[in-house]
Amino acid sequence: MTTAQADHASAGPTGAGPILELRGISKTFGGVHALADVDLAIHPGEVVGLVGDNGAGKSTLVKTMSGILRPDGGEIRFKGSRVEMDGPNAAKKLGIQTVYQDLALCDNLDAVQNLFLGRELTGPRFLGSRIKRAESESRAREVLRKLRLDSISLTRPVGAMSGGQRQNIAIARSILWTPEVVLFDEPTAALSHTAAEQVGKLIRQLADDGLGVLVISHDIHQFVVEATDRIVVMRLGRVAAEFRSADVTGEQVVNAMVGGNKGVNSAR
Amino acid sequence: MSTHHSTQSPTATAVATTPDPPADPAATPSPRLTPRRRLAELLAGDLRALPVVAGLTVLVLIFSLQSPFFLSSRNLSNLLVQAVVTGIIALGLVFVLLLGEIDLSVAAISGVCSVLMAKLMAEAGMSSVLAVVVAVVLGAVIGAFTGSWATRFLVPTFVVTLGLGLILNGVQLQLLPRTGRYNLLGTGIEDIAGSYVTGAASWLLVVLAVVVVAGLKLTHHQRKASHGIDSSVVKNVVLPVAVTAVAGVLVVSVLDANAGIPTPVVIFGVLLAITSYILTETRFGLSLYAVGGNAEAALRSGIKVNRVKIAAFALAGGLAALAGIIAASRLLGVSVSSGGGIGGGALLLNAIAAAVIGGVSLFGGRGRASSALLGALIIATVGNGLNLLGVSTDVQLLVTGALLVLAVTVDRSVERLSGSVGR
Ligand SMILES: Nc1ncnc2c1ncn2[C@@H]1O[C@H](COP(=O)(O)OP(=O)(O)OP(=O)(O)O)[C@@H](O)[C@H]1O
Ligand SMILES: [Mg+2]
Repeated sequence: MTTAQADHASAGPTGAGPILELRGISKTFGGVHALADVDLAIHPGEVVGLVGDNGAGKSTLVKTMSGILRPDGGEIRFKGSRVEMDGPNAAKKLGIQTVYQDLALCDNLDAVQNLFLGRELTGPRFLGSRIKRAESESRAREVLRKLRLDSISLTRPVGAMSGGQRQNIAIARSILWTPEVVLFDEPTAALSHTAAEQVGKLIRQLADDGLGVLVISHDIHQFVVEATDRIVVMRLGRVAAEFRSADVTGEQVVNAMVGGNKGVNSAR
Repeated sequence: MSTHHSTQSPTATAVATTPDPPADPAATPSPRLTPRRRLAELLAGDLRALPVVAGLTVLVLIFSLQSPFFLSSRNLSNLLVQAVVTGIIALGLVFVLLLGEIDLSVAAISGVCSVLMAKLMAEAGMSSVLAVVVAVVLGAVIGAFTGSWATRFLVPTFVVTLGLGLILNGVQLQLLPRTGRYNLLGTGIEDIAGSYVTGAASWLLVVLAVVVVAGLKLTHHQRKASHGIDSSVVKNVVLPVAVTAVAGVLVVSVLDANAGIPTPVVIFGVLLAITSYILTETRFGLSLYAVGGNAEAALRSGIKVNRVKIAAFALAGGLAALAGIIAASRLLGVSVSSGGGIGGGALLLNAIAAAVIGGVSLFGGRGRASSALLGALIIATVGNGLNLLGVSTDVQLLVTGALLVLAVTVDRSVERLSGSVGR
């Protein structure tokens, strides 16, 4: 099989170097090699699609980039310099935000509380770090408006909302702190076709504003080929192939996913 | 962590360059709520306490019709004091239950800490103030130990606290002298339950409560207004202040007609206010709800889940110890039966029942400080009222148990209708 791994550090669509880069990342769980020597680069302004069969290691890879999992080997580089992330807050401080497969929302809290979860705007410590509710609410409103999500209630518990609304809240949370990289783990899995298209537009909007975006999806034909610039295929914990989205058909991507050699080609 | 820190502010400048097109209704359809569901959502939210308050009112009505003595200021004063010990333990349990955890050792903590306090005074000649402080701190340390053990070894707190409760019962027996009892008469401890705040001082407390509530509500309202968020003065400021004032005046006039506000009631009131502030206003309070709602999400958002757990158990332990001291003060001594006796007995069950009847979910993530008050009041009212009617303990147990099941059933139904469970 052919891959384009040697080209990873080369220029992205904006001509800049990669904003986030993985080199030789590996991770094992007990005896399972979830990730083996994975190289991957995300450039500012591009949408990278990450695809692969169930258990291929996509979510695990995202978790290493968001500071949840520590890789066993390899290095993570952010804007050209090596970083060690000792937890999810470390990644967030760098400007790497993640929208998880399970959304990671607290159903009993409202949209504002979920948006600011773990990074609440608070007053002085001697008053017990009192939460600045009004300020949080107006900033939440601002972000939702920019995402054209005005109709989402800020005060109802998110557990009482629809799947699409919850997905949108999770996305809004990821961009609340002006990130430079956003990682999406299956953002369209539970959505109708129209809602998925909406998410696709939103993702494109982020990239157009100069962010680096990575999207995991199983929806190869409708979503990945349409909404991304580059597609990275994972199989059994390794990068199996890489394509430019414009040059490839859904069939070819699926073939690379399941291990057929037909149509596997190089991105650059 | 190294090298790079991007400057970040919590605004969406990332997408600020795109103009704002009109909202796309297809993407996020605004929900059409049926009246039934709207009511359910109200009951699940702002009006959460309504069924419990209604239940309490019915109980009070029944008992006042059956016994002329029930509504006398002397009896109501008694009833409040009876509610305090259960109420303070329940208040501590709220912290733990919000996390979706449980502490079955709280009654034992209250027992062992009160016995230790008595022993320190009787045998080590320690001053009463210092002994009280030591006992409360010990309660908090025991709680923190529970939290650490459970998080360190990933053992369910149900099991840890069950075992710990028995251990503490054993320690309590070892601490007691041969006679099985320490007398607290003349130590100063008896003054806690035996003293009252009366006259001008009691009214000052009402004023203080009103000022605090008004201050909190006003700052909220002003901040909302300054951020352009709709906020009704009547609903968000005038109403809560009026409710506080009316309730305060009512309670104090009734109690002053007897001997004044019993000190334990003042203590409970202050603890309620502080707990309420912690739960509704602070970052720690929100963390409790977040962990109880979705611990994994809380963890990924950077909340130090283990620390939050340890703190919650420490608070529960400290409050349980304080409750034990107040109980000892009422009974003028400590004995084998302090802390509800072996296994926690009715004290433990009543404290858990109080929190749950008051609206705290055993599954975590839902409940308020006022839940402990309402639940303890219901349990004390049932006990006190049935006592006045000369009804024996067996029937009291039947009624309390039935109320518990009823309360949880109503609660779950509301939650199901409002759509916040069963997802
Ligand atoms: N916490 C864990 N403990 C043990 N094994 C794990 C853990 N997380 C992932 N794995 C294993 O690592 C492999 C990769 O899992 P991962 O979740 O990354 O797959 P994925 O590509 O995201 O799959 P899917 O498309 O189903 O979401 C699987 O074999 C999985 O069982
Ligand atoms: Mg996955």
